[in-house]
Amino acid sequence: MSEVPSQIHGGKIISVDNISLVYYKEKEPLPVLADVSLTAGKDQLVAITGPSGCGKSTLLRIMAGLTKATSGTVKVLDSEVTGPRADITMVFQNFVLLPWRTSLENVLFGLSSRTDLTEGQKLDKAKKALEETGLMGFENVYPGELSGGMKQRVGVARALATDPEVMLMDEPFSSLDDLTAERLRREIHELLINPSTSVKTVIMVSHNVEEIIELADKAIVLSQRPAHVAGEVKIDLPRPRNKKSEEFFKWVDKVYSLLS
Amino acid sequence: MFEPGRPLPIALIMPGNVRAGQVISLVEVTGGLGAKVDVPRLADELGADIAVLLGVLDAAEMLGLVKSEKGVVYLTELGLKFQKASKNKVRMLKERLASIEPFRTALDLSSKGRPITAGQVADSLSEIGIKWHYQPDLNEALIKTLLVHWTIYGGLMSYDGKTGKFQKL
Repeated sequence: MSEVPSQIHGGKIISVDNISLVYYKEKEPLPVLADVSLTAGKDQLVAITGPSGCGKSTLLRIMAGLTKATSGTVKVLDSEVTGPRADITMVFQNFVLLPWRTSLENVLFGLSSRTDLTEGQKLDKAKKALEETGLMGFENVYPGELSGGMKQRVGVARALATDPEVMLMDEPFSSLDDLTAERLRREIHELLINPSTSVKTVIMVSHNVEEIIELADKAIVLSQRPAHVAGEVKIDLPRPRNKKSEEFFKWVDKVYSLLS
Repeated sequence: MFEPGRPLPIALIMPGNVRAGQVISLVEVTGGLGAKVDVPRLADELGADIAVLLGVLDAAEMLGLVKSEKGVVYLTELGLKFQKASKNKVRMLKERLASIEPFRTALDLSSKGRPITAGQVADSLSEIGIKWHYQPDLNEALIKTLLVHWTIYGGLMSYDGKTGKFQKL
């Protein structure tokens, strides 16, 4: 197996500074996130993990501009995120495809707000994104006729078609069977961390530590709620990563020790 | 419709729950382990349930990608080529797929470029006793899933979800 050098990590693409979130239940404060800070650089895949219900997905939604934090800021290339925006896109655990639209129509739906593109340009972009995710020929197939892995490919194609700089992925492989997830992980990493796409950084929420060590350049471990950053692990393993190697398990143990 | 005189397809029937991506994973992992591995190790490497893995192995063997003997799985020459291919892997299996049911019957029915439905394929196969499920509606749905997953990846047929029809390419 040839070793590919780890990515060259350059400038900061996204920075999360002192994010806190408090919900109120019958006027009682329920702190969810407490002073969470992290950064992701160019060509990095950063994984966020932590105990169930600690607020990992909520943090991702704040980064996407879908949920407002009580305090703190999220910046993409020094511009503050105050709501959903075109350069940040999200891939969801349960695909979130419109069942009454075909694969192509689902990808086109992601481009519907792009007033800078003609209908023809949108169609070209959507077809290209489907091709890149291995779905050429599946343009006219409905989500209900696709397997879980293929649905997630449509989800990724829809996200890619918008030419995002930041891609946020919320447990993207957890709904898939092991055999499907194994292959999709490798493909998605090759596809996203690649100069031919617009994506500059990927942030992925996952509870699967082995998946994190396989894919990520850095792992951010959150604590129990109210979640704060319990630790940050820079995963400096050459790619492709051998999941059965002793070295791999050392990294797995390192992340587990921060989780426990 | 089944034509009298056409040889009965006895063994080449695609398992209903196996998808192309699973076969690709199996071949890639076997290749990564030196092209020869025993089934328990393979299940462990893939993190797959052995019952699921056996169906995938059957499909991979039917497609000529692997051979299994006494619990050991080997990649064939085609399997090695398939493992090394970087894109459109399933297209390499076009001819093999065309000899496996339900693809064979679907291709026959659509031989003159006639669009066909999964229901027509199910009826035709039922006539010769090939079914994946005893309930007709579930059988048809399973055949449709198999056709969508394998014939499009294999470059054998196109499918239009709006009409529910497949067409030979």
